[in-house]
Parts: sequence; C-alpha cells; structure tokens
Amino acid sequence: MSEQKLAAEVRNEFGKGAARRARRNAQIPAVIYGHGAEPLHVLLPQKATTLALRTSNALLTLDVDGAEHLALAKDIQRDPIAQIIEHVDLLTVRKGEKVHVDVNIHVAGEVAAGAVFDLEEFTVLVEADATALPETLTINVEGREIGEHVHATDIELPSGVSLLIPEDTVIATVSAPAVAEPEAETAEAAAPSAETPAE
Amino acid sequence: MLIPRRVKFRKQHHPGRSGAATGGTEVSFGEWGIQALTPAYVTNRQIEAARIAMTRHIKRGGKVWINIYPDRPLTKKPAETRMGSGKGSPEWWVANVKPGRVLFELSGVNEEVAREALRLAIHKLPLKARIVRREGGE
Repeated sequence: MSEQKLAAEVRNEFGKGAARRARRNAQIPAVIYGHGAEPLHVLLPQKATTLALRTSNALLTLDVDGAEHLALAKDIQRDPIAQIIEHVDLLTVRKGEKVHVDVNIHVAGEVAAGAVFDLEEFTVLVEADATALPETLTINVEGREIGEHVHATDIELPSGVSLLIPEDTVIATVSAPAVAEPEAETAEAAAPSAETPAE
Repeated sequence: MLIPRRVKFRKQHHPGRSGAATGGTEVSFGEWGIQALTPAYVTNRQIEAARIAMTRHIKRGGKVWINIYPDRPLTKKPAETRMGSGKGSPEWWVANVKPGRVLFELSGVNEEVAREALRLAIHKLPLKARIVRREGGE
C-alpha cells in the first residue's frame, strides 16, 4: 500500500473557464469530502497526482494550507482521448478506519494444458483498513482443469481484509478454448437486405 | 456480417460526424481494446474483416467483443446517372464512430498475442486507433 504526499491549494474560482485555466497551468481540480464535513475544493499538481493515481486505491496525504487530509480517490474523471485526469473526487479517511473499496484481481499460475480461463469479475469489493489497502488480490489457477470454477472463497486475502461479496461468486471459469474458424470463410455480398415494415 | 434485421425507414440522412464519443470510451468487458482516435463510418464488412483478423491470430483461446453495430444505412446513386430523380438506393450499413469510442475488446490471451491481434484488426479499419488496456490492468 503506497502513501503519497501531495501539496494542494484551495480552489477559489469555479466553472469551466476556471477549471480549464487550472488544467492549462498543470493543475487538476479536485474536491475533498467525507465524515460530514463541508466539501473542500482544491487544485492538485497534475504530474504528481497522475503518478500517484496510477496505483489503484492509493492513499493520498494532502497538504492544504498547512492542514493535512488523508484521502482515497473515490472517482477519477479522465479525458478518453487525451487520457489526462480532468477531476478527482477524494474521500476523507482516518487512520484505522475500515473502508469499502474495489480491488483488482491478479491471476497467478497456468491452467491445465488445453484449457483457458475467463475472468468473470475483474474487481471485488472488500473491506479493509484505510491505511492498508491491497493493490491487487490474487487467485491461483495453477493446474485447473476444464469445467472448474474459481470462487470468491479461493481468493488469497491478506490479513485485515474481508470480502463483501457472496462466497459463491464465480471469479473465473476454466473452459475449453473456442474452436478456430475454418480458413475458407467467405464473406457474403454486402447487399443491404434489412426489411422495412409494410406501409 | 452484422446487419439490422428490420428497420423503420430504408433511407436516412448521413449521421453526424462531429464531436467525440460520450459513452463506450472504456474497456468494459475484456482486458484489451481498440479505441478510435478519429471519426469514421465503419462498415459491416470492415467490422467483420477486423473480427476475422483478430480471431485468426488468437487461434484457440481468447474472447472477442464487438462494441459497435452498423445500424445506419448509406445510399449511393448508380454510376453515370444524372442528378435528381430521388435518393439513391441503400448500399452500405455503417456504424458512426466518434473519437474515444472503444470498438473491439479482447481477453484471455497474453499481452504479446493481444497486441498483435489488435494491430492486425486496426489495419482493417478506416480510422486511426490505438490499443488500450482495462483501467487497473497489470
């Protein structure tokens, strides 16, 4: 679990014009909320924040005008084309507090020869200490045969982490690979033939 | 080949080409995806060609998702025809793709095979595209 320190400054200008100005100045608009406190609008340094948020469930220590806030990224808005972070929602947490987070699944091992695995769930919801959130949870598929399933109970959980999904949830399935298509596949002539309803 | 089974009207206006995709911009089902970087009309033949290129490369194993559907007809007038006399007849079915849209997804193969399969598929498409990975993927 990584803990990153970021220097934030209070945001006083609002609206899309101000937000775009901030982004041009290599800053990311963000909001900090939680524990019933008033939301605090801040600006984060773009490069440091982007690097920090590469780690899933990263715990951020924000220095806002001398006051320290411990926070988790609750929602990250990204530009799908430029792939820059446009806005971050940060949830205040306290040391020792239990939080609910989605953690990515990591697959270890190789399935039996001639079988392939298919992940049904890419993330699982867990409860863990805010300061000790796992980056990934591992499932081992070593030697699994066709027809076997990996259930939530097969996830190797670190101490202090508990699952919040039903134990019989299927995480991955091991199946026979789909049959490769015959080479002599012919594409039909693309004559549009959709029917229109009778007048 | 993807084609609508039944449509309300045979001929439509040309779909709008401006703007960026507002949805379907993330890898939602698989591990890898192809994301459009320019707008384009992608025909059902191009979608099929890309799908075949991908499935042939991954051979056995892996799973492919097609996230776009060619639901817009484009018309064409016959060659050497004078202007007028009404709109031409439907010739192609296209998906109106805007920048940011994830067109295909792939999972169940290693990174090397996935990247090559998607690269081959991109070459069948009439647009600039890049390979993207699921957020939080390793």
